[in-house]
Amino acid sequence: MPARTLLKKLKEALGEHIGQAWVPRPHRAFFTVKREELHDVVEALVKRFDIRHLSTITGVDTGEEIELLYHFWDRDVCFTVKITLPHHQPRIKTLTDIVPGALFYEREVHDLLGVEFEEHPDLSPLVLPEGWEDGHPLLKDWSPPEEN
Amino acid sequence: MAQRLLIPIGPQHPALKEPLGFRFRVEGERVLETHIRMGYVHRGIERACQERTYIQDLYLVERICGICSHIHTTAFCQGVEELLGVEVPRRALYIRTIVCELERIHSHMLWLGVLGRDAGFETLFMYTWRDRETVLDILEEISGNRINHAVNTIGGVRIDFTQAHIESILKRLDYLEEQAHYYLGLVTTESTFVARTHGVGYLSREDGRALCVVGPTTRASGVDRDVRRDDPYAAYEELPFEVVTASEGDALARTVVRVKEVIESVRMVRYALQNSPQGEVRVKVRRRVPPGEVISRVEAPRGELIYYIKSDGTERPARVKMRTPTLANLVAIPHMLKEAHIADGPIVLAAIDLCIACADR
Repeated sequence: MPARTLLKKLKEALGEHIGQAWVPRPHRAFFTVKREELHDVVEALVKRFDIRHLSTITGVDTGEEIELLYHFWDRDVCFTVKITLPHHQPRIKTLTDIVPGALFYEREVHDLLGVEFEEHPDLSPLVLPEGWEDGHPLLKDWSPPEEN
Repeated sequence: MAQRLLIPIGPQHPALKEPLGFRFRVEGERVLETHIRMGYVHRGIERACQERTYIQDLYLVERICGICSHIHTTAFCQGVEELLGVEVPRRALYIRTIVCELERIHSHMLWLGVLGRDAGFETLFMYTWRDRETVLDILEEISGNRINHAVNTIGGVRIDFTQAHIESILKRLDYLEEQAHYYLGLVTTESTFVARTHGVGYLSREDGRALCVVGPTTRASGVDRDVRRDDPYAAYEELPFEVVTASEGDALARTVVRVKEVIESVRMVRYALQNSPQGEVRVKVRRRVPPGEVISRVEAPRGELIYYIKSDGTERPARVKMRTPTLANLVAIPHMLKEAHIADGPIVLAAIDLCIACADR
């Protein structure tokens, strides 16, 4: 199914949940959703469209806010659901209850950008060392700790 | 009732060459629960990419993995090329594809040997690693390097084939195909190997989909998914090939899928060598990349590899994110090990073809 057709189908079904949407090239689609609606939108993707493959979650510090990009794979389309979180204490409900494959991706974003995933079963460090207290390395204003 | 114990293994341990920490909760020989701790080779490559230019990043991402290095530069280059809006010469796309498939053959052969060794079938290890030298010789001849071939550059490739190369490669491809058929017969009939892998590390189709598993691991559970066909890049749209799947979902099925993929790859390389168009192999590109964001996906030997690249219009990317197939597949390990015997642990781990350096980045 071409990216445009898929996007049209999603728009018909999810209507006002989908904000801006664009198709930059064949096989790719993007759309934004409000952060408080993300969980419902993904639940609809899984339950109504049988789209279960979350390729990964990319976290981006834009300076003003934290962007989270959820990349999904449905047959020949890779589409991205974009949300933004405030820079100060970013929080979002976990997707692990509907997409078990999100388990490590959320932990990684938690490590590197400090996003709290509410109700995540285990947010212990994934890539950072045990007892790391030197902040979140992918934030723009982060700098490496002084070496002793 | 057998005693319940918590066994910590790793990060340095007997089953893997790379560091990965496990905590197994066991009852007698049975595994009840597995906890994985990674990060021991986390090098902060995503952050490092932001602090370097696109050209420097090319050399950095090639070193994420020591086995599938070319696939990383393929994903990175095609992403940056999309941001730049350049059209890469078709001959370059064919050369990229040929090296991608040669790399898949070498990766799968290496893996088959490692699995053989873990299954107590050392002869298989000796045979496959001997044959893998054939692929490494080809790669060395065309690029100068056995691994880290440095073939890709932004705007094309840095090497070209001569007619002599093509003839000598084609001869050796016949040998590789013959050997792959031999291995296919071997792994499905050798009773010790079958006993060690049949029904081991089972993953159902539903669980594979829910856990977002990728590559041969998911294809062996009956999920028909391959980036090369579903989201074609480089020259894949023009190559005839079959996506190999199996329905059994165990370590044996994963072996069969990978060996059949070697056969497919040999055929693809042969076709691409005989049908590659003539012409230039690279175009010059600007150092500054226009603002934008792009998602680049490829099918690495272990499965879907995805890059997200964001540019702010400078010589350095604003963000480079890569998710390697091993990170996607690791999440299924606790699932596959549930109710397994501890002795099957190494086989289950080997069967998904772990690359920890990739997963940690």
